[in-house]
Parts: sequence; structure tokens; C-alpha cells
Amino acid sequence: MNVDLPAGTRNYTYAQDMAIFRTRTHWGLFLGLLAAMITMPLYLGNYWLSVANLIGITIIAATGLNILTGYCGQLSIGHAGFIAVGAYTSAILTNRFELPFVLGLICAGLVAGLIGIIFGIPSMRVKGFYLAISTIAAQFIIIWVINHWNSMTGGFIGIRVPPASIGGIGFVSQTSQFYLIIAITAMSVFFARNLARTRSGRAFIAIRDNDLAAEVMGINLFRYKLTAFFIGCFLAGIAGSLLAHRIGYINAENFTLMDSILYIAMIIIGGAGTTIGPIFGVIFIQMLQQGVTLISPTLESAFALPAGFTAGIGPMVLGLIIVLFLILEPRGLAHRWMLFKTSYRLWPFSY
Amino acid sequence: MAELLQFVITGVTVGMVYSLIALGFVLIWKSSGVANLALGQLVLISSWFTYGVLVQVGLPLWLGFPAVILFALALGWIIEKLALRPLIAQPILSLITVTLGIAFFIEGAVSFIWPKSVAALPRFFPQATVHIGTAVVSQEYLWAAAISFILFVLLSLYFKYHRMGIVMRATADDQLAVQACGIPVTKIFSMAWMLACTLAAIGGILMSSIGGITFGLTETGLKAFSVVILGGLDSFLGAIVAGPIIGLAESLGGGYLTPLTWPGVREIIPFVTIIIVMFLKPYGLFGEARIERI
Amino acid sequence: MNVKKILKVAGAACLALVVTTIPLLSAGCAGEPSNGDKVKVGFSICYTGVAAEKGRPMGDGILDCMKYVNEELNGVDGHQIEIIWRDNQYDAAKAGTIISELMNKGCLFFTTNSSKMMGASMEIANRAEFAGFSVFSAPALTHPPQHIYGQMPDYGDDWAAFARYYLDNIWQGTGKPKMALHLLNNPTGYGARDAARALADDMGIDIVATEEHTATTISEIESLTRIRTLNPDILYISSTPQPTSIIIKNAVELDMYPGITIACGHAGLTSVLTDLAGANSEGVYGVFPTANWGDDVPAMAKMTEYCQNYHPDDYGNMDYITTWAEGLIVAEILRLSIENVGIDNLTPQAVEEYGFKKLDNFDVGGLHGAVSYSPGDNRLSKSVRVFQVQNGEIVPISGWVEALLIKYEDFEWFGK
Repeated sequence: MNVDLPAGTRNYTYAQDMAIFRTRTHWGLFLGLLAAMITMPLYLGNYWLSVANLIGITIIAATGLNILTGYCGQLSIGHAGFIAVGAYTSAILTNRFELPFVLGLICAGLVAGLIGIIFGIPSMRVKGFYLAISTIAAQFIIIWVINHWNSMTGGFIGIRVPPASIGGIGFVSQTSQFYLIIAITAMSVFFARNLARTRSGRAFIAIRDNDLAAEVMGINLFRYKLTAFFIGCFLAGIAGSLLAHRIGYINAENFTLMDSILYIAMIIIGGAGTTIGPIFGVIFIQMLQQGVTLISPTLESAFALPAGFTAGIGPMVLGLIIVLFLILEPRGLAHRWMLFKTSYRLWPFSY
Repeated sequence: MAELLQFVITGVTVGMVYSLIALGFVLIWKSSGVANLALGQLVLISSWFTYGVLVQVGLPLWLGFPAVILFALALGWIIEKLALRPLIAQPILSLITVTLGIAFFIEGAVSFIWPKSVAALPRFFPQATVHIGTAVVSQEYLWAAAISFILFVLLSLYFKYHRMGIVMRATADDQLAVQACGIPVTKIFSMAWMLACTLAAIGGILMSSIGGITFGLTETGLKAFSVVILGGLDSFLGAIVAGPIIGLAESLGGGYLTPLTWPGVREIIPFVTIIIVMFLKPYGLFGEARIERI
Repeated sequence: MNVKKILKVAGAACLALVVTTIPLLSAGCAGEPSNGDKVKVGFSICYTGVAAEKGRPMGDGILDCMKYVNEELNGVDGHQIEIIWRDNQYDAAKAGTIISELMNKGCLFFTTNSSKMMGASMEIANRAEFAGFSVFSAPALTHPPQHIYGQMPDYGDDWAAFARYYLDNIWQGTGKPKMALHLLNNPTGYGARDAARALADDMGIDIVATEEHTATTISEIESLTRIRTLNPDILYISSTPQPTSIIIKNAVELDMYPGITIACGHAGLTSVLTDLAGANSEGVYGVFPTANWGDDVPAMAKMTEYCQNYHPDDYGNMDYITTWAEGLIVAEILRLSIENVGIDNLTPQAVEEYGFKKLDNFDVGGLHGAVSYSPGDNRLSKSVRVFQVQNGEIVPISGWVEALLIKYEDFEWFGK
């Protein structure tokens, strides 16, 4: 039985069957969420707005990785490298060539997507672990090139990025950046959600589940795998560009292997292969990190902790959470959320 | 030309050290099909434990080494039982990610227990340098290379002739058949992990006695991946051969390309090698190619 | 189903209530401007994370110094300093959110103890005209000069100062000395290269080789072999202690040292180097921007006392000295601001104009070179001392040598 919809809801047209927001309650909650998000700058201070901006940017990148790894099954542990490509492209175009921000944003996505395709070509011949290793290699190569291509990227010194501006309106304050980022995040999530329902999306899922069978059915593996790399890295590039304009000064040290691994952790914890999974994963991990940052001063002054405690406890907790999630809830928070919704609908019946 | 000899010798000896770590990886892959991305961190924690036992507690060498080996065995057993046993039939993404989680955890545990970020181990090998022709090489590297080679020979013999080794190879091939023979497969996995951790521990001891203990040991773990990819994921011979090849490539490539291009070309050579191998011969020099025909 | 409908309506009502009252409840979350007697300063410290080994003693130093100022000196001109500090975990993204929080909470200025963290925070601060300084500096932070200052000379300045000292005191040949650079693959290393690029020709030094190494290298024989064929007179290593010790060891193995002069930047010249390199490091030169523990300078006694009382593990750690000095500078900036504009007119802009820019030969208790501001130069302290390893100890062999200002922004290869 279909537990996605409340009892008594019948679908009489194809549009109704395919709708994302089917009932009035769905629409009501959605509009409420939109209203809450749009009015957020009114009641959140600057600090929480900047956290929200960071979360928004990370959601865009995680959605990209989700399309690549969650939907298409191409394991990529080099995502931070592609974000770096987007960030630097946007920085170079707006700083050295003084092109407008919107052009920088789009080009960042395109260039990152192209680089993604180049490093995705090995996926034609290998899969699984081999692909993971080649994406790690991709990450290192990208960072090395950024560090050594002095004339363009400023090498180890880094490069300044002017604030984003569209048509003369600069996005300098956290509030204005918030609206920009929320708009782009909403578009990306909308895009990802609908991608899963199109022909390409179904092809991705088929490739993930069993690529031999997919090829037998006539899906061109070559084309669809590279498309997945392009889309995933395009979104990473967009996220990178927004990140660059937000921080204002980028350096290759911002994009390490640990960040790539963190992105994988985010989509695993949130639930790979679902739309809402990356959102949950990102919010969970970012809130965890912010919480640790806020608690440290009080912890330090309250207890005389041994020297290594605060240095080690962060990665230990994160590693433990990753392992526990994989063992106990491999389908992530999104699965838990779905179970919760289902139990709500079916209550008081236990099936 | 005098430099050529120096580059060659340095490259080969450094590469043998990479091989040693690669052997641990190949071992786990060959026995259980799991890709262990926590290699570098296993090396790191074994090195720190050695430091703790030899320097902080002050045990003599003949007591300290067995303690480290026991620790490595225990570590391998714990990791396998707690983290990998529950995930036996899961897709590879989960397995790789759980090793990543273990890697994070171990890094945090190391910072937690030993807050210093660098430390020096007492030197096990004589420090004098050996002159081969016009080239100099430190004795430590020669010892490390020799020990790697001996371990390789031992491992190959073990896998070829010893009963347990044969069982491990069988498990890698077909778990169901092994179970049908009445051999508990989980015990095989445990043994494989324990052995791999021991190899990592030995590799860690050798490397840290040469260069001290730092977080860089994890990066050497990444270089070991390039060795493994070049040599073939499931071949010991591949690991031993590919190690010096990568070392040579780094040394010669760095040596001759650096004046022509940019300083620092050397670090990127292992990773470019990975990409090239992926394009040309994805399963490596000696790896078994999986042929999928439709 | 009745119960369910009631639940649904109740849930909707609750949600509506929460959404409408959030603005009222969270009014407190919005920023409050600084007011009242308290003077607020923000510190972004790498207390935990991968840089904790340096970050922790640095955090201890600044907090102890602030405690000293507040308790024993009764604050600044009688006003207690309110400290807001956050742990950035050496993570650039966190540094970005922390700077927003510090600005939000009404701090007058901020400091960080790492150039990477300052890099992640500086544009946000620059755009808001919020001043700050970083203990460890880098050319990108202070060139072109905006609202960010560097407390200590950066790695490029180290090179410039040592090159000056070498030409004046050690170089005895004729013509130009030949220098080889061995750099860590991060701004620490490349800072020296950029300074060399900018100044070497003018100073009369010939850079014959530039080699790079990673922080995790175990052997630099092949790069040193290349360097050896070019016969340099001096090898300058701008790196951290671990790789520096490897390079020195390899240089000894290749019979290059003793023979040429070896010098290292201030990131590498610590007791860790002498531990790791042992007897090989005998005679190696280096520069360091602060005094050493046990030197006879005015601030040493108080600093030693607080260190032994509150953080005895940090005794002997040079980073504690750098941040104790940071604390003294913070107090001085606040004192100048209060003196010039009065306690009621303190805003971040006023503090920068009348605090930072009015610093004039403040001696920082002798802990490092005098701190002054001159227009166009955002470095607070500009001098270093030259040291040498003698008998396993790091011994100062010169007074304060000033490093020239390098106008990086005039060079087109500098990422502006």
C-alpha cells in the first residue's frame, strides 16, 4: 500500500500522481517553510545568518555529490577539489579579468563541470574503489595545480575576491548574501528533486543498482556517467563560487582531503540517494561543529581537561558517528524521517 | 650522471618502504575484498604506541616490540569485529566510508592520547651512511628495504603454502564455497585484519625511526595507494615491484623535471601515475583483470 | 480519526504559535552594540584541531595576559576588558562564522593567532571596516594595507632580515653570494621566496635554486643533490622543524654541511629542531622575532609567574611568549584609544584610527621588537633577532634587526 499519502487521497490524473506536493497540508507546510526562511533575517542575528549562509552553500555542494554518488553510484572522494575549481574560477574571473559576478558564477559551474568530466573518464573503465582512488588523486592534482600556477591563482599566497554584485547591487552584508544563497540553494534542491524523476535520473539509479543490466537495457553508460559527473561538479562549482565571494579571500588550504571526506560523511549520515538526505546531513554536521565551537570556551574554563582532550575529541566523535550511522542506520536520517512520517500517517495502526 | 646513481638508489629504497605499507592493503583486499582507507592512520597509531611503550614507559627493545605486535593484533581484531563484521554484505560505498570513519576516529584518538604532534623514536639502526659509488644512502633505508623484502617473501610463501594462507585466498575468491567446506569465514577476516595491522605496525616503526613520528605518516598511506594501484590490488608481487617503481618515478621525475618545470613536481608524480594507470591499465601491472562481458 | 484531527489542528496551532513568537523570543539573538563601561575584544584561537599544538599554548598566553591586565593592572585605565574568545579549530569555514559573531557581539577589534585563520576572516572584517591583527602574519594579510595588521614579521621579513645580516656579517667573498631556497609547500615556505623575488637582486644575492618539500617528507637527498651541483654558499630553509631536521640530516650525509651556511626561518627554529636533528644542527643559523625564556627583559618576570602558576606545561614554549606580547599590545591599543577619544566614544573605527594607528615605539616589555605604526606599513613589529645553534642550545647572536618593508602590491605576480 502506498503510505506516502494520507488515507483517502486518490489520484485521478497523471499530474496528481506525479505531484511532489499533493495535499493541502503539504502545500501549507511548504509555504510556511518558505515564509519562515524568507523572514529569517528579521530575527536571526548576524552570526546565525552567517552560519545559515555556510549551511546553504554546503547544501548546494552536498546535493551535487548526492547526485553523483547517491543517485549514480560513482564514489567520489575528491569533491573539495571541484569546489576549489569553482571558487578559483570565479575569483580569477572577477578579480583578474574584472568580469561581472553572474558570469563568474556560471563559468565557475561550467569549468568545474568540465574538470569533473575529465576526471570522470576513468569511470568508464573502473568502478567502486578504483574510482574512489582516482578521485582522491584528482583532488590532489587540482590542489597542486592551484598552488603552483602562480600567475593566475596567486599560488600559495591566495587571491582576494571582490564581493558578489549583480547590476551594481553589492552583496556585502550577511542578509543580502543570505537571500542570494537561499535562492540558489532552493533552485539546486528543486533541480535535484526533479532530476530524480526524469529519464536521466532513472538512468542514474539504474546504473547505480546494476550497471551491466542498465547497459543491456540500452542505457548508454558513457554518456550518463559523464553527465552525472558534470552535474555533480557543476553544483560543486556554483557552491565554490558563492563560498569564494562570501569569504573574500581564498587559499588552497581551505579545500583539503578532510573536507572531501566530510562531504561524503554528510551525505551518508543524511541518506544518500534522497533529496532531503543532503539537507539533513549538512545541518546535522554543521550544527555539531558549531556546537563544539561554542562549548569549548566554557568547557575549558570549567574543567581542567587533559591537554589532548579538545584536540582529539572532535574527530573521534565524528568518526564514531560515521561508523555508528553506517552500522545502525545505513540509509541515513532521511530514512528515519520517512519512517517517522509513515508512522504518523498510520498511527494508531502499527503496520 | 653521478646524480643518476644517487637518484636511483634513493628512489628504490624509499619505494621499498612504500611497498611495505602497500602489502598490508593488498592483504586485506585479497582476503576480504575490503578497501582499507584507514591504512595511514593504522601506521600512525602503531608508531605512537611504539613511542609510548619505548619512550614514555621505557620498556627495553626486546619487551617493547612484542608489546607493539600484540597491540597491532588486538587493534586489528577489534576493528574487524566492531566495525566490519556488521557490514559484511553491504555495498562497497558503505565499506569504504566505514574505513574513513575509522580513520577519523584513530586520528582523533592519537591527538587525544598523545597530544604532541611530533616525536622522535630512538634509532634502531646504525646511523652511518654507506657509499655506493658516488652515491650515499643512509643505512636505515637499506635496513628498511631489506625488512620489506623479507616480509614480502614470507607473506608470499604463507599465502602459497600455509593452510591458512590458502584458505584466505579461497575466501577472497568465493566465500560461499569456503563456508561449504566448514571453515568459519569471519575468523578468516579477523586473521586478515590482524595480520594487516601488524604489517602496518612494522612499517610504522621503520618509517618513524627514519623520520620521526608526525601526521605525515597518513600521507605516506596515500602514496601507498598509488603503489597498490600500479601493482594491482590483489598482488603481493605487484606491491613489491610497484613500490620501487613509484619511488624511482618520484626521484627521477623530481630530479630531472624540477629544474625544467616547477619546484614541487615530485609530490604530484604518484597521483598523476594513478590517473595514467587508470586510463591505460586499470587493474595494474600484476592485478587480476575483471573481465565483464555482456 | 477524531483524535487524529484534533492532533492535527493542535499541531498546526502550535506551529503557528511558535512561528509568530520566534521573532519576539529571538530578539535577543540580534546584535547589541557595545555600551557601558566594559571594553570588548574578540579572540579567534585555534585551541583544538590540527594546529592545537601551537594553538593551545597561544590561547593560554593571551588569556593569562588578559587575566593579568584585568586583575593586577585593574584593566585599562580602570576599565575591565571583556574577552570573547572562540575556538576556530583551524578551520576556515568556522573562522568565517566566528568573525561574524565577534562583530555582532560588539567587539572593538579582534585578533587571531594564525595567518590562515586571518585569511579566512579578513575580507569579512575589511568589508565591515572592523580592525584586527594576527599574531603570525603573511604578505597577503597586510598588502595592500587595509584594516588587518600583523603583529610579528612574516616569513618574507625573516628572509629579508637574515639576508641583510648575512651580507653584513657572515659573507666574506667577493661578488654575489649564491643562495638556494628550500621551501615548505605552503605560505610559510613561499613567503621567503616572494621576499627573495622582490629583494634579492637589489640586495645583491643570487638565487640559484628553489626547491620545494612537503611537511611529511622523509628524504630530501635528491633535491639536495641537485642543489649541491650548483655550489651555493648558503641554504635557506623556510619550513617547520620536522622537515628542516630531515634536510639538515641529508645535507650532512651528502657532505654539504658543515661547509655551506644553513639558516632557517622562525617557524623552524625551535627546540623541536634541536631535538630531532641532534648534533647535525650544530651551527645552523635562524631568526626569531621574540625574546627567549629567561632573557632579562621587563615583562619576563610577570609572564613566567603566570605561566608557572596557571599553565606550567607551557613553560619553555615560544608561542606563549608571542601571545603574552599580543596581550600587552591589545592593552596598549585600548589604552591609546581611551586616552584619545574617551571611553564613551569607542567604536571599531575609532579604535583603529586612534589605537592602532597611534602605536609609537611601544616596547612590549622587551618581548619583541618595538611596535609602531607607519602609514602604508601594516606590520606592527618589524624586527627579528638572529640566533645560532651552539652546543645544542639556540643562542642569540645579534640585537634587533629590522626588516625592510616590501611593497608586494607593486609586483604583478602578487595576487592582489
